[in-house]
Amino acid sequence: MSSLAAQLITNGIIAGAIYALVASGFSLIYNVTKFMNFAHGATLALGAYFMFAFVSGHVPFWAAIILTLIATVIAGEVVNRVVYKPLRKRKASTAVLLIGSLSAMIFVNAIILAIWGADIKTIQLPWQNPVLNIGGVLITGVQVTIIMVAAVLLLGLWLLMKRSRLGIAMRAVMNNKEVAQTVGIDPERMYSITFALSSALAAVAGILIGIEQNLHPTMGTALVIKGFTGAVVGGMVSVPGAIMGSLILGLAENIGIWWLPSGYKDAIAFALLFIFLLVRPQGLFGKKTREA
Amino acid sequence: MMLHVDKLDKHFGGVYAVHNCSFELAKGKITSVIGPNGAGKTTLFNMVSGTIVPDGGSIRFNSKDITGLPAYKIARQGISRTFQLAKVFKNLSVRDNLLLAKQTTDDVLLAALKQVRFTKSLDVLAGELSYGQQRLVELARGLLFPHQLLMLDEPTAGVNPLVRREIAEILRNLRRQGSTIMLIEHDMDFVMGLSDHVIVMNEGTVLTQGPPGKVRNDPAVLEAYLGK
Amino acid sequence: MALINYFIHLAVLIGIYAIFTVGLNIAVGFTGLLNLGHVGFFGIGAYTSALLALAGVPLWIAIPAAAIVAGISGLVLALPTARLKGDYLALAALGFTFIVGSVARNWTDLTRGPLGLPGIPRVVASTPLFLVIVVVLTVIIALAVHYLMKTRFGRTLQAIRDDELAAATLGYNTFLHKVIAMGISACIAGIAGALFAHYISFIDPSVFGIGDLILVLSMLIVGGLASIPGSIAGATIILLIPEPLRFIGFPSSLIGPMREILFALILLIIIIYRPKGILGKVDLQ
Repeated sequence: MSSLAAQLITNGIIAGAIYALVASGFSLIYNVTKFMNFAHGATLALGAYFMFAFVSGHVPFWAAIILTLIATVIAGEVVNRVVYKPLRKRKASTAVLLIGSLSAMIFVNAIILAIWGADIKTIQLPWQNPVLNIGGVLITGVQVTIIMVAAVLLLGLWLLMKRSRLGIAMRAVMNNKEVAQTVGIDPERMYSITFALSSALAAVAGILIGIEQNLHPTMGTALVIKGFTGAVVGGMVSVPGAIMGSLILGLAENIGIWWLPSGYKDAIAFALLFIFLLVRPQGLFGKKTREA
Repeated sequence: MMLHVDKLDKHFGGVYAVHNCSFELAKGKITSVIGPNGAGKTTLFNMVSGTIVPDGGSIRFNSKDITGLPAYKIARQGISRTFQLAKVFKNLSVRDNLLLAKQTTDDVLLAALKQVRFTKSLDVLAGELSYGQQRLVELARGLLFPHQLLMLDEPTAGVNPLVRREIAEILRNLRRQGSTIMLIEHDMDFVMGLSDHVIVMNEGTVLTQGPPGKVRNDPAVLEAYLGK
Repeated sequence: MALINYFIHLAVLIGIYAIFTVGLNIAVGFTGLLNLGHVGFFGIGAYTSALLALAGVPLWIAIPAAAIVAGISGLVLALPTARLKGDYLALAALGFTFIVGSVARNWTDLTRGPLGLPGIPRVVASTPLFLVIVVVLTVIIALAVHYLMKTRFGRTLQAIRDDELAAATLGYNTFLHKVIAMGISACIAGIAGALFAHYISFIDPSVFGIGDLILVLSMLIVGGLASIPGSIAGATIILLIPEPLRFIGFPSSLIGPMREILFALILLIIIIYRPKGILGKVDLQ
């Protein structure tokens, strides 16, 4: 295989892993609450900016990560309580929750813009980011980390959703809130746990992406759209499926620009999104759901 | 015979909801379809009205094959129906709800409402009515829609005994005027006192059929309801 | 003097966005199609009219042509998507907008990409006169749509919104109605887009952005679904509310984010506490 092709494929896997980081948290929320939380992108951005703030404040790197996780989880729960819970009380449809999440996204993005400004920021690693050369293909240490984290997430979330008691409780709430209550599951508590987990995933994604790329106030918007696309391609109803779909998306984008001008990378993603929504909305790995 | 249903099949994910179901509907009569829960009655209705597409078999209405046609085309053939849970257009007035069935004057609309014993104003929003009132509006709408066959899915579900008697009276009036009615019902007294013909469904197919007296005394019917 | 010009400018924008919102209301408020991609039609109208005008086509042909192209793209989008349910329709429409935006950014031979199209000819040189034109158009379109929704066709759209299945059993071809509604809605959005292009004299791919989408959605929801006066009120409120910020003396770097925060808050408050909006007839579903 030519080294250009190998590099493109590697870039595809890296991009796919980044999208998978985003898609995992997004898909987790969908799988428990049935709505598409676009504010996930803003949570991710918040995670990146918290990390930036701690690192700039000379907090030791690993402590900064822990603090960022805590701060982002708290922020995520605040949004859940202030925005989504009142809407759930009104029995809002998932479409309304989606609009609510768009508002929350704008709100958080604006706060980030107001506090940190529009200029591009970077997160400094306390050590050098090594560039590895594996058989002619270039890849950095950070990128390898991202791929490994994505793989761990794939396995971990699959185990969580399918095998753990918590995962089963979550899926029970998603399937039928009322019935879940009759076996003693508290839906609101499940939602809080889900949001906490999802925010933590967003923080991890924000930190890694912030280090790998850079920070700007609307970084989350483009990413959540890609993550969402990955989830649609792989299958919204399955968290591992969303991760796999993201990988496929990353590969499709990077292999696609072999033929198309590189500016069309996004267009490839959107075209995939559109086609899947029309032709196979349950995604590659999802099952067709019955009409209720 | 106005309606011929021949060996109708419908399955959902490997389970048959309706299987090898066949019967005929006579013009100018009230035919009731009864059977235990899960017998496939509503699925059958949905296939006849075009809401669901059958997997096998055929449906002929006035000698025309309507199998698998979309709901709006079947409606235009002259089949009018109501639903198990009253479906009114909540954000539209009673008047608009009825005008959608037939573009006509207020007087005609009021006459239809009088026929179903609905007493409130045409200007009220359908969503503000009580459930029982919504049922009446839906019934009036179903009557106004130009049709030869009227299909009613559990017309007395969730209504009090007084309204139930009124509905029975309305249906008798309609039959006197020559209407053909097919209904799904669970209330045995209602069915037996009103129907010309009763079709008993069980496990997706027709168990037996005939005049109310014959069906009421059929041990197989009793077993279907109780013997599980 | 400058103050008058400032108000006239605001009024023009309110008129243009009111037209945009009225169009969106047809699809969302009256027919129940949650079309998140409406900015796509605005942008298509803007770019089509601009490109035609820059190629020398007189405006009285370019603007209607742009409206027709936008309308046709609405029909084209509706054909595959009208069968989808709620969220999926919304997102497919959004995806469509992203695709069109991406094309606008990348087909640089045609659109000059991110550089945008400057020097778009104005309808009239005088802004106050343009305001009069916009107001007249707004009133005509608003009245036309308002009365269209009272006809049998309009009633059918609303029935489809309230209960599509029941509408089908009354003999209405619901798919066809949804496609037509989307087409009309897109056409009107295209008119707004063309007017915008010929007023600001410059457009770039940012017209396809998510920011504008949420802006118009706010106008629609705050004003109220299924209410034409509501759409005009919504456009007015959303465009006017952030204006006092200019005068309060915020540092200029904060004005942008403050506007966004205000929009987000207003939208959130409305959907949580008053889903009908100010003049709406229908709850947001």
